[in-house]
Amino acid sequence: MMPGWRRGLGRFASDRASALGLALLLALVVAAVFAPILAPFPGDVADFHTANRLRPPDAVNWLGTDRMGSDLLSRILFGARITITIAVVAVGSAVLVGVPIGLVAGYYGGWPSNLLMRVSDVFLAVPQIVLAIAIAQTLGPSIENVILALSITYWPFWARLVFAETRSLKNEVFIESAIALGASPLRVMTLHVLPNIASAIIVRTSIGMGGTILTAAALGFLGLGAPPPTPEWGRMIAESREFLPEAWWYATVPGVAIFMVVMGFNLLGDGLRDFLDPRIRRGAGVK
Amino acid sequence: MKRTILALLAAIAAASAPVVAGEAWAQGKYVHANNSGYDNLDPHAIFDVGRAASRINFYDGLYRWVDNPPKMIPWLAESHTASADGKTWTFKLRKGVKFHDGSEFTADDVIYSIERMLAMKKGAASLFLPIIAPGSTKAPDKYTVVFTLKEPSAIFLATVPEILVVNSKLVKKNEKDGDWGQAWLARNVASSGSYKLKRYDPAIGFVGERFKEHFAGWGPKAFDEIEFRTVLETNTRVQGMIKGDFQGTDGYLPYDQILRLKEAKNVQILEAESMRVFYFSMHNGRSLMNDVHFRKALAYAFDYDGFIKDILKGAVARNPSPNPNNLWGAPKDLKGFTYDLEKAKAELAQVKEPLRPITIGTLAGFSETEQAAALLQNGAKKIGIEIKIESAPWPVVQSRMQDRDKNYDMVPLWKSTYYVDPNNWVGELYGSRYIGTRNSSYTKDAELDKWIDEALATNDQEKRRVLYEKAATKVAEQAMGIFVYNTKWYGPYAANIGGIRFSPIGSGQDMRWAYYK
Repeated sequence: MMPGWRRGLGRFASDRASALGLALLLALVVAAVFAPILAPFPGDVADFHTANRLRPPDAVNWLGTDRMGSDLLSRILFGARITITIAVVAVGSAVLVGVPIGLVAGYYGGWPSNLLMRVSDVFLAVPQIVLAIAIAQTLGPSIENVILALSITYWPFWARLVFAETRSLKNEVFIESAIALGASPLRVMTLHVLPNIASAIIVRTSIGMGGTILTAAALGFLGLGAPPPTPEWGRMIAESREFLPEAWWYATVPGVAIFMVVMGFNLLGDGLRDFLDPRIRRGAGVK
Repeated sequence: MKRTILALLAAIAAASAPVVAGEAWAQGKYVHANNSGYDNLDPHAIFDVGRAASRINFYDGLYRWVDNPPKMIPWLAESHTASADGKTWTFKLRKGVKFHDGSEFTADDVIYSIERMLAMKKGAASLFLPIIAPGSTKAPDKYTVVFTLKEPSAIFLATVPEILVVNSKLVKKNEKDGDWGQAWLARNVASSGSYKLKRYDPAIGFVGERFKEHFAGWGPKAFDEIEFRTVLETNTRVQGMIKGDFQGTDGYLPYDQILRLKEAKNVQILEAESMRVFYFSMHNGRSLMNDVHFRKALAYAFDYDGFIKDILKGAVARNPSPNPNNLWGAPKDLKGFTYDLEKAKAELAQVKEPLRPITIGTLAGFSETEQAAALLQNGAKKIGIEIKIESAPWPVVQSRMQDRDKNYDMVPLWKSTYYVDPNNWVGELYGSRYIGTRNSSYTKDAELDKWIDEALATNDQEKRRVLYEKAATKVAEQAMGIFVYNTKWYGPYAANIGGIRFSPIGSGQDMRWAYYK
């Protein structure tokens, strides 16, 4: 690889914000993977102890208990699994759908390109959250439907991005040479175009994860997410509303969890952008 | 120049806004935050406590329920006589009563109203359909109405206040394709009632303006304007009460919230003995749910103590049958189910059909129903029954309950008082004559029907008591529903409001008696 790669990595490692982002996400992954071991009361995900309800944080329940007397820390840890699943699957499928569409549309141009881009325009015309609410409401509340709603509303972002990048790359000399040498369109797209726009996709994906988690939490909050007793973070905040401000920990704990994860993805995305795409890094020219 | 004028206009608007609000206050405006929507104002289409305010405050009945224990006072009718066989009921109407549009109220309006109810078959019609034939109600003169019942009915008099009278000439004018004016009356008011409709938006609620010429007269400080606003969010209602944005809210708040409001200086909590039974309505007419062992398994899987003592902090009393314990007709020695997973498993073992996931519909805005559902879900899971919880606004839940196929398997809710008679509970919930209207359990049990019909046909109180006790016992023992508690009423109002005349019927939403102290 180029020496720029090394420079980028060094920059990434020395950037405290990116490192913090990475650390937050590692914590999330650890929480999700080791939830059954880390959780002090793993059974509390679905079990209630009404006599212990709404206990403030103490030595037994480190983060307090909820309206059914379940341990909040345990529920938050298991909730991390749902958060990761939703984010990875929803963004993953949005990438899988959006990237090929953007590639094809950007590479060929003409009417197929117009058609694909106008379709994505239709999706982009409605605010994502509104569209996701409509879809989730129609399909009924469940995790699968939230993922579906998010994927359906999210793919145009990648399609747009890849479309624009492909269009600008298409006229580069090395692409033209590849075509002149007789490379098939598929080969050009996957081996020449895609690797060169990968950095933009990765950055968008990282930041998109944060947005997706936020939207998923909003759907959960509105009661369109996983049905109870799933420890979904957005739903937990919704349940906690009526106990505010007295049971402050009840809303704070899932709220802080969502905040940290979204911040983690955003910081990581920013860091990745600096590292992968030096053209548009933060504070370019100063650093 | 243009900008100056705009700025000036904005300044005037800003300066005058508080003045206008202050004026409204001085005239006595009452704002009530309600936890379910007012999707329909038609008094003959709706019949529940969540949407009682429009019926009570906009419409008059022949008699009216007030106070606690509830008593009936003469209202549009001054008196009545009944024939010896209990079938002919003659009501003498009040003279000189004016509708909002100034026209006079007569016997024709009563006849139109009862015929309209019987034709629409909605709301309170379920009370009259079995006993009054269409066309059988007559008016010998302008101020006399005669009801001729198909069979004697012990509850007829107690249900007369539900015959709310509409202005027949006005409604007829707005009929469309023989719809009895349903489309029009859903959004308009045609009555002689305490308040005139000033503004209505199904998404927001309604505003009523005092009908000064009302025949019953007014107290010197009665509210000039009442607003019933839909506020689904429990916390918004509670915070609004504490901040003084609302002067009253529903009597369905979870006890946690009542305790919070008790701390607030500008809020008073009125408490009264009431009759409102909290239970899980069960669809007895569907596979698995029609198996008594399956229902019993569920009844043993609900943590009654956890719910009553911990979640409701002991503010309510266990009530093991559909009939409220503080009314005659409640079985005295009935033990009721306890939380016992061993017994639940034993019952489940006797179920032959393959299990399927059970759906519980909860009422959005009534968080107690969610917590009860979650508790049952938890217990059921331990014995291997999967329960799914879906939440929807009350009008949606109710319309699904009235449809045999669309109904949920279970719905946790309250059975409130609509008239003080055990038939209001065990009769309506389990008598097959009310299937599709008040009976959303879809129970059709020959023995129950026999007892309930017999009890309706006699006026012998002792005989009726025995029949209702037998019916309630059977319903409870066969777990045709899961019966949890009977509540006290906790009514949150602004501290400076007086004259709230609570009656279990209407739950303290009859605003014509109330005033600012």
